[in-house]
This record gives sequence, C-alpha cells and structure tokens, in this order.
Amino acid sequence: MPTENLCDKRMSKFKNKGKEPTKMRDRRIAECVELRKAHKVESIMKRRNISSVGDEEPLSPCENTDNKQVISETIQEIVANVNGDCPEKQRQGCQAARKLLSRERNPPLKEIIEAGLLTRFVEFLGRNDDPTLQFEAAWSLTNVASGTSWHTQQVVEHGAVPAFIALLASPMLNISEQAVWALGNIAGDGPSYRDGLIDCGVIPALLARLTPDAPVGYLRNLTWTLSNLCRNKNPFPRFSAVQQMLPSIIQLLHHSDKSILSDACWAISYLTDGPNERIDVVIKTGILPRLVELLGFEELTVVTPALRSIGNIVSGSDLQTQAAIDAGVLSALPQLMRHPKSSVQKEAAWAVSNIAAGPCQQIQQLITCGLLAPLVDLLRNGDFKTQREAVWAVTNYTSGGTVDQVVHLVKCGALEAILNLLQAKDTKTVLVILDAINNVFLAAEKLGEVDKLCLLVEEVGGLDRIEFLQNHENNAIYRAAQALIEKYFSEDGDDQCLTTEATDSNFVFGASDLQKRFDF
Amino acid sequence: MELNDGNLQTLTEYLQKTLIPDPAVRRPAEKFLESVEGNQNYPILLLTVLEKSQDEVIRVCAAVTFKNYIKRNWRIVEDEPNKISDPDRTAIKANIVNLMLTSPEQIQKQLSDAISIIGREDFPQKWPDLLTEMVTRFQSGDFHIINGVLRTAHSLFKRYRHEFKSNELWSEIKLVLDTFAQPLTELFKATIDLCQTHATDVNALKVLFSSLTLISKLFYSLNFQDLPEFFEDNMETWMTNFHNLLTLDNKLLQTDDEEEAGLLELLKSQICDNAALYAQKYDEEFQPYLPRFVTAIWNLLVTTGQEVKYDLLVSNAIQFLASVCERPHYKHLFEDQNVLTSICEKVIVPNMEFRSADEEAFEDNAEEYIIRDLEGSDIDTRRRAACDLVRGLCKFFEGPVTGIFSGYVNSMLTEYAKNPGVNWKHKDAAIYLVTSLASKAQTQKHGITQANELVNLCEFFVNHILVDLKSPNVNEFPVLKADAIKYVMTFRSQLPKEQLLEAVPLLVAHLQTESIVQHTYAAHSLERLFTMRGANNATLITPAEMAPFTEQLLNNLFKALAIPGSSENEYIMKAIMRSFSLLQDAIVPYIPTLIGQLTHKLLLVSKNPSKPHFNHYLFESLCLSIRITCKANRDTVGSFEEALFPVFTEILQNDVQEFVPYVFQVMSLLLEIHTSSIPSSYMALFPHLLQPALWERTGNIPPLVRLLQAYLEKGATTIASTAADKIPGLLGVFQKLIASKANDHQGFYLLNSIVEQMPPDSITQYRKQIFILLFQRLQSSKTTKFVKSFLVFINLYCVKYGAIALQEIFDGIQPKMFGMVVEKIIIPEVQKVSGQVEKKICAVGITKILTECPAMMDTEYTKLWTPLLQALIGLFELPEDDSIPDDEHFIDIEDTPGYQTAFSQLAFAGKKEHDPIGDAVNNPKILLAQSLHKLSTACPGRVSITHNVITKNDLRT
Repeated sequence: MPTENLCDKRMSKFKNKGKEPTKMRDRRIAECVELRKAHKVESIMKRRNISSVGDEEPLSPCENTDNKQVISETIQEIVANVNGDCPEKQRQGCQAARKLLSRERNPPLKEIIEAGLLTRFVEFLGRNDDPTLQFEAAWSLTNVASGTSWHTQQVVEHGAVPAFIALLASPMLNISEQAVWALGNIAGDGPSYRDGLIDCGVIPALLARLTPDAPVGYLRNLTWTLSNLCRNKNPFPRFSAVQQMLPSIIQLLHHSDKSILSDACWAISYLTDGPNERIDVVIKTGILPRLVELLGFEELTVVTPALRSIGNIVSGSDLQTQAAIDAGVLSALPQLMRHPKSSVQKEAAWAVSNIAAGPCQQIQQLITCGLLAPLVDLLRNGDFKTQREAVWAVTNYTSGGTVDQVVHLVKCGALEAILNLLQAKDTKTVLVILDAINNVFLAAEKLGEVDKLCLLVEEVGGLDRIEFLQNHENNAIYRAAQALIEKYFSEDGDDQCLTTEATDSNFVFGASDLQKRFDF
Repeated sequence: MELNDGNLQTLTEYLQKTLIPDPAVRRPAEKFLESVEGNQNYPILLLTVLEKSQDEVIRVCAAVTFKNYIKRNWRIVEDEPNKISDPDRTAIKANIVNLMLTSPEQIQKQLSDAISIIGREDFPQKWPDLLTEMVTRFQSGDFHIINGVLRTAHSLFKRYRHEFKSNELWSEIKLVLDTFAQPLTELFKATIDLCQTHATDVNALKVLFSSLTLISKLFYSLNFQDLPEFFEDNMETWMTNFHNLLTLDNKLLQTDDEEEAGLLELLKSQICDNAALYAQKYDEEFQPYLPRFVTAIWNLLVTTGQEVKYDLLVSNAIQFLASVCERPHYKHLFEDQNVLTSICEKVIVPNMEFRSADEEAFEDNAEEYIIRDLEGSDIDTRRRAACDLVRGLCKFFEGPVTGIFSGYVNSMLTEYAKNPGVNWKHKDAAIYLVTSLASKAQTQKHGITQANELVNLCEFFVNHILVDLKSPNVNEFPVLKADAIKYVMTFRSQLPKEQLLEAVPLLVAHLQTESIVQHTYAAHSLERLFTMRGANNATLITPAEMAPFTEQLLNNLFKALAIPGSSENEYIMKAIMRSFSLLQDAIVPYIPTLIGQLTHKLLLVSKNPSKPHFNHYLFESLCLSIRITCKANRDTVGSFEEALFPVFTEILQNDVQEFVPYVFQVMSLLLEIHTSSIPSSYMALFPHLLQPALWERTGNIPPLVRLLQAYLEKGATTIASTAADKIPGLLGVFQKLIASKANDHQGFYLLNSIVEQMPPDSITQYRKQIFILLFQRLQSSKTTKFVKSFLVFINLYCVKYGAIALQEIFDGIQPKMFGMVVEKIIIPEVQKVSGQVEKKICAVGITKILTECPAMMDTEYTKLWTPLLQALIGLFELPEDDSIPDDEHFIDIEDTPGYQTAFSQLAFAGKKEHDPIGDAVNNPKILLAQSLHKLSTACPGRVSITHNVITKNDLRT
C-alpha cells in the first residue's frame, strides 16, 4: 500500500516516536534543491544601504549612468583620490565610491573590488581620527559585502571583520550602526562566516549596544544582524552562541516596533528549524505565549515568521507540540487558515498537518478547537500549495486518529474534498491522498461500514477517479489505486505452498517424514 | 568483432534474413544476432550499417535492432556483468545524436527512443554534454533537425510529469533548465515569427506547427514539478504567445479528415493543458493571465465544430473551464448573467447534442454505446466534459444556471413539439440537460442519490417522459424511448412509487422493441427497479403488485433473448434472474416451460462461452428455478435432474472450464434437496470427482469441496460400503488442500464432513495419518487461518470421538503432544475462533476436555486445567456478532464477491450454515456448568480450585 512508497524526504523528516513512518512529522529541508524563485516573504539575507544621507544632493548624472566608460573614469578618479595622502581627497574618493555603490541599479561592486580599493577602505575603518572617512568606508564596504558570496569573501579576506567589530564600540552612533549592518551582511553569507564572526566575539560586542536608549533605527539593524547570526544550518550556530543571544532576542520580541518584531521572529524561526534539542532551547525561554500572541498581529511581516516558528515547533516531539498547544496555538490557527494571503494559509495548514501527526489526544484537540472546518475549507478552496499541506494533514490525521476521530473528519467533508483533489497535477499529493483513503477504509473496516464507505466514495465521483489512476504512469500511484480497487471495490486471488503426490485418478494420501519431532 | 567490410557484409545479410516471414529462416537469423550482440563493436557495426547501407529497408531494420539492443543491454544491473563495453558506450554516445538528427524520420524516431533509453541511465552525470549538443542544433535553422531534438528532449523530460519530487530529480531538472530553458524560449519565439513569415506555405507551416506542439509539450514537462524561476520570469513571453496561438486559425492547416485531430487541434489541446496546469498549481503567479485564457478558450469552444477530430480539444477546453469556475476567486469571471447564459447556450448545450457519430453507434454498435452511456466509460467525451462543467458552475450558480437551462429545456421541447419527426434530437438534448443538471450524486446501485432541488423531476416525468413510454408505436424514435427508459432508471430513487408502478408495464412492453439499446435499457431498468428496497428492507415492488404483469414480463424477457443481437444479452439474463428472485412462488407455474428454454440456452452457450456475465446470470436463474420449485415440492428435484443432467454431462465431458464450477454448484444444490439416500447417478460420478486434474484449477476447488460435502452428507454409508477403496483418494484431496495456505480451510471443510459423516470404522486406519499431516503443516507454516480451522476440527473430533480418544491419539503420535497442543495452541489461540457454530464446537469440545479427560486431572497436564477453563470463559465473553440472520443469507448479487474470479460463486446456490452439534447442545454455557457440577460430584475436592476463576456471573446465560 501507499505507505511503503512514501519514504521520500518528507516522510523521513516527520517526527518519529515509536510510530509508523506515516505518522511522523514534517521538517523543512534546507538543503533541498529549489526550482522556484526565493520566497518573497522570507527575510533578506543581505541588504545594501541605498538610503541617501540627510541633506545630500541628488546623484549627479555620472553617478547614475550605466555607461561603462563613465563608470570606469569615475573609478579611476576614486582610486587616485583614495590612494593619495590628502585626507580631504580621501574623504571625497570614499564618498564617491559609496555613492556609486548605493545606486539603485547595477552598482559596480566588482569594478570597485578589482580597482583594489578594499585594502584602503578597510584601513580607513581604523581611522578614529576621521569619523567621516570611517563612515564612508564602512558604508562602501557594507554595500560590497551585500553582493554575492564572492563579493562578501573579498571584504572578509581584506580583514574587515576585526575592524568592524572594533567599530561597534564607536561613540558615533551612525558609524557603529554601519558596522552592525556590515556584520549582518557578512553573517548572512552562510554558516562559515557566521561562525567566524562568532569566534571573533561579535556577540558580546553587539549585545553591549543593546541599551534601552538605543534609537529604533539602530535597534532594527541590530535585530536583523542578530537574526542572521541565528540563521543557516550545516552546521547550526553552536549552542553557546545561541544561549548568549536568546535572552536579548526574547527581550526584542516584546518591543513595539514591527520591523524589530519581524526580525526577532525570524531569528526564532531559524533557531527552531532544527533538531528537537534546538527547539527545546527556545521553548525553555517561555516565549511560546508571546509567539502565539504575535500570530494575531495584523502585519504580514510579523505573522509570517511567527507562524513559521510555531510550525517548526509543532514539527518537534509530542511534548514540544503539546507545549505549543498549551500556549494556545490552536485558537490562533483557524484565523490564519482563513487569512487572505495564501502563503499564510499554507504555513498554517503545514502546522496543522504536523499537529495531526501527533497522538490521538492532540488530534482530539484539533477537533475541540474547531480546526476541521477551516481545514476542509482549505482542501476545497485553498490554492494548490495550501491544498497540498491540507492533504498531508488529512493523511496524518487518518493514520494516527482513532476510528471515531476518522469518522468525524469524514463527516466534516474531508473525504469528498480529497477525492476531488485526486485530479491534482502533483504525483506525490495524489499518492498521499490514496494513502488517506486507505486509512479511512481501514477505519471503516473496524466499524463494518466498508460498503457504506464504498457507496460514499462512488457517489462523490471518487471511484471514477481512483479507477482512472490505475492508468497512471507512476508505478506507485497505479499500484496504490489498484490495491484500493482490488481490496474494496472488487474481489481477490490465490496462493499456494506445499504439494501432494498424485496419480491420474487420485491424490496419494499419507504423511512422509514420520521421524520428525513436532514442537509448536 | 572487428569493424571491417566482411563483418558489415555478414551483419547486413543476417539483418536481411530477419525480415523474411518464413520462421525457418527468420528465427535462426534472430538467434544468431542475439548470440553475437555481446561482442565488442557489435553496436558500432549496427550503427555503421544504419549509416552507410544503400538499402533503406536495411537501414530501418538496423535502427530497430539497435534500439532493441539498447533496451535490453544498456542498463547496468548490480552484480551482473556489464553487457556493453565501455569503449562502445562512449562511441555510441559520441555519435548517436548527430546520426539521429541527420537520419530520415523513420530512423530518427528509433534513434530518438534509443537516446532516451540511454539518457534514462546516463543523463546527466554520465552524459554531461548531451544537452549542450542538442541545444546547439536549435541554431541549425533546419526544422527537421530541430524537431528531432525536440522529440528526443520530450522523451527524456516527460518523466518529470509523473515522478516524485526528490533532490536527485530536481537537480536534474535544474540542470536542464539552466541549459535548455533559454534556448527553448528563443526557439519558441523564432518559430512563431517563422509561422508569420511562412503564413502561406502549407508545408513549412506543418513542420513549424509540429515544432510548436513539441515545444508546448516540453513546457508542460519542465513546469510540472514546480514553477521554475526562469519560466516565472518569462511568463509574459510564453503566456502571451500561447494565448495568441489559441486564438489563431489558419485555413491552410485545417484538415478534411473528420476523425483524426489535425496539427492545430493538437497544439491548442496542449496549450489548454498548459493553462490548466498553471491555473491549478501556480494560481498566484498566473492570475493576471487567467481571465484572458478563459475568454480565449471559451471563444475557441464557441467556434469549434462538432466533428470527432475536435473531441479531445473540446473536452480539454471544457475541463479547463470546469476547473476554473469552481474556484472562489474566479467566481467573478462567470457570475455575470450574460456570461453564464452564453456559456450555457454556446458551450454546454451544443456539446450535449446527439451527434451523427452517436446515432451510428446507437444503431450499429449497441454494445459499445451501452457501455459508454450506461457504465460511464465516457471519461473524455464531450458530453461528460459538458456535464462536469454544469456541475462546476452549479457550485456557485446553481440557481441562475438552473434558470437558464429551464428556459432552454422549454424552448427545445417546444421545437420538438412543432415537428417531432425532424426535431427529435432537441428533446434528446433536453432530457440529457435535465439529467445532468439534476444529478448531484450517483451510484450504480441506487442511481441518483442526490438531486438538484430546483429541478422538478416528477413533473418532467409526467409531462415529457411518460408520453414517450406510453406512445403506442414502441419502435418509433428509439433514441427518445431509450432516453425515457434511462430517465426512469436514473431517477428511480427520486420518483414516487406510484409513478414507478405506472412505468413497469410500459417497460415490460419495451422489452419487445427492435432496437437493442432500447430493449436492453428496458431490461436493465426493470432489473434495477426490482432491487429497490422499501420499508423493512422488503422489496419496494411486491410480487402481488407484479401479479397482473407476471406472465407478460416473463414472456417478453425470454422473447427478447430471441431478438437478433441480444441472444446473449447479459442485461436481459440478469433481469430474468431478478424477476425470478422477486416473484418467487409466482413463477412456479411457468417453470416447466422456462426450464426448457434455459436448458436450451445453456446448451447453446456451452459450445462457446463468451459472455461471462450472461452465463453467470443464466446459472443463477437455474438455481432460482430449482430452489423456488423444490421449496414448494421437493419431489420435483427429479425432473430438474432429468432436464439438466444431459447438458451437465456434456459440459463435464467436454471440460468446458468456464462452466464446470457452476455445474458442481447446481449439482450440490440438487443433491442437498434429496431426502433419502444418494441416487446411483451421483455415485457413478464420485470417482471422477477425485481426479487430481480437476483440483488443479483453483476455480473448481470451492464448488468441488461443497459437492463432496453433499456426497458425504447424503451418502457416507454408501461410500463406506460400496466405495471404501475411494476413501484414501478422498483423504488425498484433503491432504492436497491443507498443503496450501489459500485452500487449507477448504481442506478442513472436507475433513470435518468426513469425521462427522463417515462411519467411524471406515476411517479408523487413517486417523493417525490425518493428525500427523495436520501437525506437519502446523510445524512448517502456521497461519492464523489454519490455526482457527485446526481448533474447530480437533474440537469437533473431541465431540464426536470423546476427549480421551483425542488425548490418546495425540500422545500416541508423540509423548506429551496433547499437553503441548492444549498449552501452545488451544489456550492462546481459541479466542480467535470466529463464527457462531465454530465457537459452539470449540466450547463443547473444550468442556469435554475439561470434564471428561482423566489425563487432565491426574497427570502433569493438570496445571493446564485452570488456564484452559479461563480460555473457554474468554471464548464465551468475546462479542459474538458474526451471525447472519436467515433471511439475509442469500445476499444481493452485487454484494457477492467472486463472480469475476475463477471461482464463480452462485448466490442462489448458497448453502445454509450447518451445525454438526445441533440440538444436542443448545447452550454450551449450561453444558459447561452441568459438566463441572457432575465432575465436582464425581471427584469431590477437585473442582474447588476453580472457585476463584469461575463465578456465577461468568456463566450467566
């Protein structure tokens, strides 16, 4: 039956606690190959500072052109200025570079690097005597580091990390903030630079700046950089670093600024996107009630990462899931399942699918808190990605639920809804549905209601669809469909084991091998 | 095998020989080629012949041989030798693409297949440059080459449509996208431009349009798993062009063929699929384009003709609309009254019309027409798609749609009324429309189970259906008559009983019509009506209500079998069976005539059984005749035997495999009716029933066991006295059956009958052997089913021969065997025994072991006494709900599994459950209480150990 075919990534990532594979919970897989565009609602890994400074004049035509010639001339001029000894010229060159790098479109990151300017810029970071120069250099390097991994690598390899960490302590807030930003870009590049920064002591230096009087803008950058320090797996950030950051992140989660809340939530979502020990660390901070509260926010930028964090947590152990349930997550989910944004519906359905993979007590709570009606709604009317998650919820529910619970789900219209989805143009979804149908039949067998269920399936057009799937090109699907048809909608075959001697007219009666001792 | 002229010559000669029809020449040549294919250079030689030969036929032959060679040998199976040398593999991959692309089409197709077989194994890791090599050819400007590349790509990529997501698969797709997506897009644009340049050159257009179709297919494959970033970024290009192509028409590409879809239809059909894929899976991104596609597809539908060649396109297009209109956020595209009206009027209604192709099938190919129309194998027909669209629209617009259609139905009926002779198809469409509008849920068993409340089905029946049924000329307008009959059948659960009763005689009259569809539908409708249940689960239509029509019904049914084309009509035969079953005693007067007709039919079909369902219902009807008649008068059994045995003998002698199991069942039924000893005619057959050849066919086993049981029941003493030499053969059958996991229960049925019925002396000498065989099977493969049957048997033995006999025979086979069986089998497993009679046997048997077996009291077996008693109490306490009420024993045939498998079980030959203990023990619980009491009186102090395990409550009865 379908179960044996479902051993792909998703199944192996379902939580498994003494259960069959089908009843395990889902985990997001970071290393998964993606065909899609990076998700629009995800937080950004690196950012370029393109804001203009206060009373600055608009960009001159030569700074805002794509003409290679003009850019190359400008860069030559910058090189000349920056490499000279005149502080005024240095400032000018640095500022010109920063402006080029802050253009909306096609900033010449590569050209600046290839012009060999990074060495000087890093050197300028140490010029405590000239804060303007420090600031312009920090800004330029921030923007270079915001590019591809190669760009970031150039900045790091020019020794910018210790210099930026030192700058965090700068009495000039704008310089310190720029350093925070640059470090955020470097941390966002991936686990290895992230851990490099941590090794250089970036965390205490950052946390030292987290004071009640820090302006909101500064705190936003700081929160974002902290979130990047929590980000990425393979490996995860080490436990000691997480422990260091967590109290501050928790504190930021109580801030009133939406942008800070959003990045703090993202940080939590990264920390919970891992094995159960990682989730435990977060749960122990007692943050769950606040996360659930944040699920009720208006702003999508807050709801999305909060929901992601909750989704991650309920993909953990039964106990961890129960902690989320106790914090009230089930009262928040119905509203999110009816959220106008389909991406939110999808994440909510994913969370439900993981709760439904739990023991029947937790499934009962899904019923009590009224999640079945919105779930069936999503099966009927959600967009495809949401429907897919909702189908998983049904399959998990039907494989772990009691007979009564399964009956209840069918009465809510889930069976009809998933039968409709057998037309989905997604092989895995179809197989998962067949698995759910099989589960429902198993429940019906226990109740002696198979005939009734057969009629119901036929009435809503499900039999036609299952029969149709017997022609599916995918072996697993056609076998699963065939198995259902053979088991419930038709009749069965035969097998053989030992043999008996025979003549033309008779079988020869008599036992051989009399010496053998019997022992049952 | 060297690459030289000699070898090329030899290979060519052998290839030539494989084309010669004479197997004496062909076979050895094929064998030779297979024998040398393991040699290095063999594939290279083949490709060389393919490339260089002057003979076109040899070239194609080499291509086919090469493809088959690749198919058999390319895959490297673990632990098996590599069947193609590495240098050959490398050489093939280096040359095949070029060779494929420069070959004529017939060869190109073979090589393209070969490439995709190789690709399936080697691409991308072991064939990294395949794609780039292919992509470069896009620039060749030669569309013969380009189409070769596209076709190969399609066979490489189409698996993306049905395989499960995996990192491996997605990495491959990503790689393909990186190298292929951009060039494909460029090619797509360039091809479309070329179509404009060559707008008047039909030959060029044909090539270009087949390219476009292939490109569209590739689009589908590459976009199936998920929406790739590239295609999201280039959605504008693709969708705008798809949209334009959908709306495009070119007179030059229109074909005259009415049946075969042309290039335009194929392309548009694929574009509909592509749009449906995006609408379903990538809704968010596709939303801006969707309304345009809805309009285009709808216009396409409005302007597309009725010819068969457009069927696939039209049903794809309608299915697209059907899937979109039931999604909440596209509701607005349809809710305008004008839009709805226009869809109903211009899309749905025209596609529900009865076409000339339907008319031809109705007249000339009734069987296929019926299967499509009645059994729903119409999955991609226009009518089915139109019905789906109606259902989809009704999700949000049930009221308005019903309103629009009501108007339509009325106007079509008015048209019809003006001139029925010309406009009868309007009424057909009206009926079809009402049916599709009213049907919300449907099953084979009950017809429509949920109807649209806005449609007044009864009124329509009275005003428009009944008229046709009552029309005196039953052969006029056969299609409309068939529609009317089908209406009754479809809405049987919705129509009130009075109306059904009014319809019954009319349906009976229609059994006489010339049209096969018409009288088949009449038979089928009657059959369905007769299965309907009313209050108390009794049939809705009673025999009394049928009384006035009984004779007519039976007459017409049998006469219908004589109409040309219906001599083996399964619907009629099923209606005969159902009528017998409904009418019961009322058929007795007719049986003497009817049995002759049935027997005659049986004789005819046994010459060449071809309609399994017809045959099945024929035998069911025979069983019903026997059962009903003999219930009134047992003595009539002889006349049935007289009528049937000659045909049965013929069937058995000719070994008509399909019928043999049926014959055994009917014979069992007949034999069981006899009250005195077994007739000699049956005894003569007895030795033949033990022939191994008969038992080798699994379909024979259940009915043969059943028949042997009937022999034992009626003739055990006769067998013991006149056929004692056959007893080992009989036991041999038992031995054969218990050796099989599938059939062991049948073996036990037989063994139980032997032990129960045979005089004890006649089997004494075999008893020990029987048990040894059972123990061997228990030892070698113990299954729950076997253990359950085994428990029933040993307890039956205990009841029949006594507990001491059981214990002695066990311990005689092996010391302490009895204790082992009690401890390891009876105590742990007895709770699994199911079935009322089976449990009763076990209860009585165990009671005897507990109370009548000294060894249980006085030896080391004593320790088992209390656990055995507990097991017995557990057996009593188990919920026992496997009983089948008497009246439900002969269940509806639909519920009977088996009539398609080798064993064709006849529901109406069914056997009542047999209780070998019968009235001797009515309540095993009381027996246990009494036996324990007797034991405690006989051996005071012994039973006191039971005080704490057994209370009055446990034995509550």
